[in-house]
Amino acid sequence: MEAVLRHLTNILELLAVSQTDHVSEWDRHTTLRGFQWAEYCEQLHSRFQCNPAVRSALESALSDTNQRLQQALPSCSPVMFSELAQCQHMLLIHLLTNPSAPNSVIPILFPDPKTAAQDSQFDQNSLITCKSAFNLLCRTSDRTSYAGLHVEAVVRGKLLGNLLNSVLSRTGNDEYARTLLDSILHDSAGKPESLYDVIAAALLSPDDETNSVVPHFILAWLQEHDGCLSKLCKSLSPGLCTVISRQSREFKQAYWGVLKQWASCLEFDVLEGLWVPTSDEPVTFIILTDRFKDLLHSGPPLKEETETELKTLKREAGDFNVKGICIWTDVIIQLKL
Amino acid sequence: MEAVSDTDVQFWMAKAMNWGEDLSCSALLDTSRHLCSLRSFLQQVLQGLQQMSSTSEAMKTFPFVGQFLGRLCWNPCVIADERSQRLLLRCLSCLYSAEPLNAVERKANMWIKDMLCHLISEEEGSVAHTTVKHAGVTPKRYHSEALQKVVSLMTEEVIKSCDGLPNTARCLNGNIHTMSTACVALVTCPEMSPLIGALLKHFMLCGSSCLNQEFIKEINEALISKRLVLEHEAVVNLWCYSPTCLEGAAVSFLESVLSGHETMTQSLDKHVNDSLLPRASAHHCHIFLTVNEIYRNVLTEIDENLAVRALIQVFTACFLQRLTGQKPQDRLPLRAFFPNVTPCLLTPLLTAPSEVPREAWLDHLSWIRSLLQSVTENEEAGEDGRAYQAVFEAWFLLVQCGYWVDTAAELLVLAAPENAKSLLWLLTFFHHPTNRGHQRSQQTAVAREAWTHLRMLFLTRPPPPRHLCAVKELLSSSFSANLVLHLFSNFTVFSHGPVSIITEITDKVLTEAAVKRRALWILALIRCRLNSAATRDDRVYSRLRTLQDTLLQT
Repeated sequence: MEAVLRHLTNILELLAVSQTDHVSEWDRHTTLRGFQWAEYCEQLHSRFQCNPAVRSALESALSDTNQRLQQALPSCSPVMFSELAQCQHMLLIHLLTNPSAPNSVIPILFPDPKTAAQDSQFDQNSLITCKSAFNLLCRTSDRTSYAGLHVEAVVRGKLLGNLLNSVLSRTGNDEYARTLLDSILHDSAGKPESLYDVIAAALLSPDDETNSVVPHFILAWLQEHDGCLSKLCKSLSPGLCTVISRQSREFKQAYWGVLKQWASCLEFDVLEGLWVPTSDEPVTFIILTDRFKDLLHSGPPLKEETETELKTLKREAGDFNVKGICIWTDVIIQLKL
Repeated sequence: MEAVSDTDVQFWMAKAMNWGEDLSCSALLDTSRHLCSLRSFLQQVLQGLQQMSSTSEAMKTFPFVGQFLGRLCWNPCVIADERSQRLLLRCLSCLYSAEPLNAVERKANMWIKDMLCHLISEEEGSVAHTTVKHAGVTPKRYHSEALQKVVSLMTEEVIKSCDGLPNTARCLNGNIHTMSTACVALVTCPEMSPLIGALLKHFMLCGSSCLNQEFIKEINEALISKRLVLEHEAVVNLWCYSPTCLEGAAVSFLESVLSGHETMTQSLDKHVNDSLLPRASAHHCHIFLTVNEIYRNVLTEIDENLAVRALIQVFTACFLQRLTGQKPQDRLPLRAFFPNVTPCLLTPLLTAPSEVPREAWLDHLSWIRSLLQSVTENEEAGEDGRAYQAVFEAWFLLVQCGYWVDTAAELLVLAAPENAKSLLWLLTFFHHPTNRGHQRSQQTAVAREAWTHLRMLFLTRPPPPRHLCAVKELLSSSFSANLVLHLFSNFTVFSHGPVSIITEITDKVLTEAAVKRRALWILALIRCRLNSAATRDDRVYSRLRTLQDTLLQT
């Protein structure tokens, strides 16, 4: 175990150095050895990804080393356990993007396709082919026929769902799965809408509809992050939210919760005679009713359940039949229930 | 001489700019149409670059190259095509300097590294980048799985789009065409085969299916050059969809048979079945008729070619085997497959010898002979073309059902003289269908003479030199060489007597390489017929093997 931890530390140092100008001292031998270490590292990840005990030992070693390296070389990015699966790829990218990398190193990493063996360690052809084929097919299938989602989101969502499923299938990995989702969210901070599509697809993903482990987990995670569920529901179309609600009771409940929360942000403006938003949440009365309209158009049993829920809400709020007092009354009137 | 012409450069630069990165339907269509010629151009560019001594020189000689390669690297359709991808990477490799000497070269290096980075990774901050980064597998594995998933989703879409109802308005035609266009570059990618199969099957289910022509062409070329393996059903659907592809496959198979001599003669029936032509023919009458027509035309052009006759015979035998394997309600009447032949000939000839008890062979052959004889007599009586045509059709059917001629030759080895006449007639007719110059009586005489000599040669021990010389002379004369060779081969395999005699006689009689090659084709047919017999005669097999070994010795 000690040897493993030492190796891990070595790899991290290697990755860090590859991002600095010390890399200019690397020669062919060093480079090839670096990739050998990186490959070993990938094997570590694959063996211990779902083993909580060993993984946490590795994670704490990673954390210590990251801290130490950050102090010595501030420009280096910390490495997470999940990224170790792509160690060789990371090293390759570092060498490509680091201006100090020796010029002689690149031809080693991209050997002439004519002379190199098909499955040599550095053969990028199948990666490039699969990646561009995937790209090409996604772009040509532009009809949103998968519950309103684009096919790229559907595929990425399914793959994410599969990953979570395999991680969660062994006990003790909940925290790790959460960390994965946290990292993904953090890295998409710039453009979360596409990520929300992927998450929606992951919620819909289990081909076996009786397997609710992944949707349950994702929902729980969404609810832990303040406002995340609300942003997700806002970003997804009404139709898509309806589809997910049909498939998952849990999501249906959570979705209703979000809608109720949106409703509580609306206030009746007596002068205008309209319900208007009070907070920064860009939810309007129309948006709210559109959501319910879509739920009601979905067919049994969701249609009946939604009707019942609305009527219950109206009753609990005082059972008013006049407009302008209770939002639920107005919603019901608007939807002509 | 300039490696690349200015007009070509202008043309391709304009194309590359036009296509851009947006992949609209029309851009995709245009790109797929030009992939083949783009590859040739890239090959020329690569050759030009390889002759440069440095990157600076390359940039001066080919100033367009940076922008050109850059644009193509950003075009997913071009990059997805394996061969174009390799050419592009090799060009980049040429432009990279391991020891840059000036600013131009240093800048080129940086640009190349950027390009490589773009090719193997995603744009930072995109959802693609994030999901791949935390996927827990290598990017290569992630994208392979992603590709498989998108293929499976699209395959489902294709299957669902047309549920076999004749109401073609329900079929989403436009999308099928677009999908097949996107697949042009991806035909040899292994993950693609379910989608390719589904697209090809779609045509069978939906009458108004419309697949991109380039797609069909690429599949066909990839199949023939063995860069692609498809499921059998998909290949048959391809042939149904495109008669050109079917013709290409039939011709290319013929070429492989004619050129791959030794492997072909060893297991001709297996090769024929592996070509999928018999299977496709049994399920689709029009396929049988097309293949038949092609081989028949070749036969009439290359007269007396034993290899082509062998192929036709084995193809027909394999086809008939498949046909009898079908359920009776699915079977078309034989008349549909052999429309030009006098119907009374069909039953006797299309029943294989393996389906007739051995004791009845002589009578069966008698029956065939009398039918054929009356057809030839009709021709001799009337002088019109129609009668001639009838003879040709009857003869061609005999070539197709050559197993009966081989059976006659086998029976001749042990036949009594009174039965030989009928069998010799058949053999003569097979090798000389026309009565050109009224040679028929002469040919029959030669046949009888050969038979007599061969009997003496193989029945008397030691083989009398007189008969040995006579046979040798008959073989070297071009008058009836094939007929004599046919008889000779059968005598060697089926006569009784020591195996050692085979080598002794063959070495003396068959001395020329060309003759030995022809004999191997005859052996191939004997072997195929024995393979489909009910029982296996080890004695015969060992004689066959000995003769083959003798012939293969140089």
